Amino acid sequence: MLKYIVRNMWRRKARTFLTVFGIVVGIFALTVLGGLSARLTQQVNGARSWFTSKISVVPEGSSLFGGGEGYLPLSKVAEIEEVPGVKSAVAGFGLTLTNESSGFGSPELIVGADLTRSSDLLNLVDIGRGRILEEGDRGKVVLGSVLAEKFSAGPGDIVDLRGRAFEVVGVYRPTLSAVDGFAFISYEEALDLFRAANPYFQVEDIAATIDVLPQPGVDMEELAERIRGEVQGVRVISPREAEKQIGQFSLIFNAILLGIAFIALVVGGLSIINTMVMSVSERVREIGLKKAIGAETRSVLSEYLLESSLIGLSGGTVGTALGVVAIVLLNRATASSNVSVFAVTPTVVAGPVLFAVVLGTLAGVFPALRAARLKPVEALRED
Amino acid sequence: MIETRSVRKTYRVGEQEIRAVDGIDLSIGAGEFLSIVGPSGSGKTTLLHLLGCLDAPTSGQVLIDGTDTSTLTPTELTRLRRERIGFVFQEFNLLPVLDAAENVELPLRYMKVHPAERRRRALEALEQVGLADRARNRPSQLSGGEQQRVAIARALVTRPSLVLADEPTGELDTRNTCLVIELMRDLNRETGQTFCIVTHDPLVASYTRRVITLRDGRIASDLPGEEAELACEGRPEV
Repeated sequence: MLKYIVRNMWRRKARTFLTVFGIVVGIFALTVLGGLSARLTQQVNGARSWFTSKISVVPEGSSLFGGGEGYLPLSKVAEIEEVPGVKSAVAGFGLTLTNESSGFGSPELIVGADLTRSSDLLNLVDIGRGRILEEGDRGKVVLGSVLAEKFSAGPGDIVDLRGRAFEVVGVYRPTLSAVDGFAFISYEEALDLFRAANPYFQVEDIAATIDVLPQPGVDMEELAERIRGEVQGVRVISPREAEKQIGQFSLIFNAILLGIAFIALVVGGLSIINTMVMSVSERVREIGLKKAIGAETRSVLSEYLLESSLIGLSGGTVGTALGVVAIVLLNRATASSNVSVFAVTPTVVAGPVLFAVVLGTLAGVFPALRAARLKPVEALRED
Repeated sequence: MIETRSVRKTYRVGEQEIRAVDGIDLSIGAGEFLSIVGPSGSGKTTLLHLLGCLDAPTSGQVLIDGTDTSTLTPTELTRLRRERIGFVFQEFNLLPVLDAAENVELPLRYMKVHPAERRRRALEALEQVGLADRARNRPSQLSGGEQQRVAIARALVTRPSLVLADEPTGELDTRNTCLVIELMRDLNRETGQTFCIVTHDPLVASYTRRVITLRDGRIASDLPGEEAELACEGRPEV
């Protein structure tokens, strides 16, 4: 059966090829965008686990993803810690790893944390090698996985952060999120680095964010509400709010992806329908003969459905393969700057192929029904 | 084995009603070797389609082995055609992408016969029509006469009790016409299968045991045929 269908497709090589090629183009675009979206989802999900396991307190007018205008006075830490239900409030101070932009994705940051009370916070991410920062650590750094790879450094190695040498004491496990690009040091040293870079700023006792962890059994949303009520002049971002901000981010991207899928659907679908309608009209006599010698309606139907889904499958397979090749090449091109823009996940590969097969099958329904409903006598009379 | 009772088939062409078959009562017994002749438009092919359940009569009945075919569902009709009736057409109607053996196998495929058995029976049928050595050839690599013999093998492979042939020699030269008609006659003698051949070629009709002549959708005459043994012998090549 399959052999026969392939031979039938081969009768009109050029037409079959062009139809398949149309699918290839659509599926290629879908795969590459799917890879982009998968990478983004990884980052978003990673970000989610980091941002939703704590309450972030930022300056008013600032958002979860930085864009921080202004800083918080350190006195807020004490104020927050007095709110019932707060286990620890950790002052943090971040600055970019270098003055250059890191391009796509989340920026690489030096994150200073108040080590006297940060052990719970720093334990939110699993440590892979070495240890987390402890109270009193000076000149020590714990790297996120991406940064560790970038510096090719492990525990015991010395790395250079904005001109100052730090000893690596630990490396976090990959989280596929922003945290992978963080270098954690003490709050005091982060502030020093900031002063060195901005000599005209008189900064003392300020924090960019204050990360709040609740006592066991305390509801984070309620706690966030309480902090809002008791501490003035700050913006409190609860896990639910963080979730919402992250969600909005990925929503836009998924809408774009759906748009591309829709275009592929319309263009590819129409060209398959066109090809199949022509194939059926060319083979009216053959269909009549088959029905005369005992082919059931069902078997004619499935024959043509199989042919169109095969067009979908070949287009889907080739398109996806080309897409994956493009992703690998693009990732390799950006690898030197330690940015991977695309991810290849099982969904990225299987999704477009499946999509193409379903598309092919659906596009074949109308022509196949036409073929299956032919009356043998009339079909045989056709020239 | 097959019987029609005042069977009628009318078509509408624009305003006009055409009575292609206009009340035919006919009875064909098992093992007959008969031809249906008549001028073009006399309703030969329509009658054959009605006999083969490819088409349903406007009125009247077609009975096969006592079963009124109008009581059968489309699926049951398909099954009946597939199991009891073999068709041979004027234009051979072989599938161009299949080789000779695969073409012959096709009806068995629809009957879901096991592939090995299918192949064995297809080769056997090709052997019967003298084309065992052409099994791997596609139709485009065969002559007209060979193609029609493949089509006959396809009609025979299911061992039908009735073979309906519509102008089987219409596109063949005299030599191949003789080959094909004598082949059908020999098969009829060997297997006892009923052959019903629509033709306008007197040479073909001369081989048959019974000749039914149609005119304007009715039976004009129903006479014994010549049963020529070797009518082709001594005839000049045309």
